[in-house]
Amino acid sequence: MPLDTNTAPLLNLRGIGKTYGRTEALSDVDLHVNQNEVLGLLGDNGAGKSTLIKILSGVVDRTTGDIEADGTPTDIRNRQDSAKLGIETIYQDIALVGPMSIWRNMYLARELCNRFGFLRRREMRDTTVDILRKGVEITGVDDPEAEVGGLSGGQMQAVAIARAVHFRSKILLLDEPTSALSVRETENVLKYMVDLREEGVSSVFVTHNLYHAFQVCDRFVVMAHGRKIADVTKADTTIEELTKLIVAH
Amino acid sequence: MTDTHIPAQQPETSGNKLGTIWSAFRRDPAANIVIILVLVQAACIIGGLLYPDDFRYLSGLNMKTLLRAIPQIGFIAVGVAILMIAGEFDLSVGATFTLAGLTMAAFYAAGVPVVFCVMAALAIGVAIGLVNGFLTLTFAIPSFIVTLGTMMILRGVILYASGTATMPFRPEPWFDSLLTGQIGFLQAQFLWFLGFVIAAWLLLSWHRIGNHVLSVGGNRGAANAIGVNVFKTKMFAFGAAGFMAAMSGIVSTTRVNSVSPIQGQGLELQAIAACVIGGIALTGGRGSALGVFAGATLIYTVQNVLLLIGAPGYYLDAFIGLVLVAAVIANGVMNRRG
Repeated sequence: MPLDTNTAPLLNLRGIGKTYGRTEALSDVDLHVNQNEVLGLLGDNGAGKSTLIKILSGVVDRTTGDIEADGTPTDIRNRQDSAKLGIETIYQDIALVGPMSIWRNMYLARELCNRFGFLRRREMRDTTVDILRKGVEITGVDDPEAEVGGLSGGQMQAVAIARAVHFRSKILLLDEPTSALSVRETENVLKYMVDLREEGVSSVFVTHNLYHAFQVCDRFVVMAHGRKIADVTKADTTIEELTKLIVAH
Repeated sequence: MTDTHIPAQQPETSGNKLGTIWSAFRRDPAANIVIILVLVQAACIIGGLLYPDDFRYLSGLNMKTLLRAIPQIGFIAVGVAILMIAGEFDLSVGATFTLAGLTMAAFYAAGVPVVFCVMAALAIGVAIGLVNGFLTLTFAIPSFIVTLGTMMILRGVILYASGTATMPFRPEPWFDSLLTGQIGFLQAQFLWFLGFVIAAWLLLSWHRIGNHVLSVGGNRGAANAIGVNVFKTKMFAFGAAGFMAAMSGIVSTTRVNSVSPIQGQGLELQAIAACVIGGIALTGGRGSALGVFAGATLIYTVQNVLLLIGAPGYYLDAFIGLVLVAAVIANGVMNRRG
């Protein structure tokens, strides 16, 4: 198990809380992500998993709590902050723009431009071709001008993952990335997570499917009603135990 | 669900350069309508050559009328197109058009140099656009409703300010020729229109801002999650719509040397019609500058042909409606065939 406990965690969250009006979505959650680790974030609907992911990706602003990256205090208040820390998110409802081409999606909000803001189209298209060739076993797509809206769910998820990896993310957040995928596409995404861990990219994997989680994760954090109720390594638990934890709360 | 293989685009070589341009053209949302426009133009030219006395399409006077009419709706449509691609509407552009003309004429009558009059009119246009955008985005109201409201408010302001009277505007000759002068067989306003179409093309296809405009209209949530500033991008699009509406009001007021309060009514819907005919999606995220050009040109070509063959003027709107529905159906059918 490539767990490295000697160095500070990539990301360390303490006492994270989030309230919407009078509703408490998260309260006092501690969470850390180690280097070279796939972390499973588990829990029933409404447990607060997605809120936590959204706070990490900077889409939702937390109400309380502190964040450290590599042992030094930092802050995530918007998407730009999380991008700086190397955090990329793969969403369940795939965050790609359907009517736009693959290369435009790949570089959206990170366009390569000249100093007047004009796009370096050829460069972006050529790089996109390279990126697609590398991940071609999962995508089966190699035309950077193809419209994303015409791809299958798995191909779209692959484009989203390829984008995250290309921009050298350190931490990949995957929020139910396989819920819209076929069995084969799901297997590919799971394999991708393990491959990325070998390349030094950690993942936080949110899923309902404990079998998927057990297949790829090194450690599990279980949540219920906005709180963390368990934090165990794969070696110290079983699918049955995790199921009990989730159902009991 | 299996992985469908999408063939790679052939790398560009000198041999299939034309093929590359053709496939890039086919990807343009306006491709179908441009083909239709070319066919209509060809038919009109052939008709004009065969029956020069009965169908005066190619006569100097008719060409002048046509090239003068297209920019009026064309200016507005360029701005409305950028806004529609960003996923929003502006129904107040017709009123903005009139108010901008009125502002310019009133300032000029008060002795303000014409350049400042123009700047004031453009500033009013941009300000109206930004107010529309601010209300839409801050209170999360559909822009269709917000701009319906501002359209009615502005119409009231126009009537109040003008007292329903037509206001004259007779600027210095150099200003007249800059905006509406004759250059060869073209008119200055048509060249201005072409300039704005090219600017819109550069913006939408080649610039970062255009990329963001396409993304917020295509999938607002995804664009936001990826890191596009949705508020800024949409505000830009609202401002562009206001700016272009004011631009059209300035040019039209200069051309007819006056501005009347009822001018500009109905332009908002004609502009949307031109955009839709030009392949700009009502749902946002899809469209091109080429489409605006084709849409605006097609509307006026059809109107012009109807006038030439002696169709009564009242029916012109009905025919625009017909072209609109026919174009949307044709676009849909051709897109489904791939």
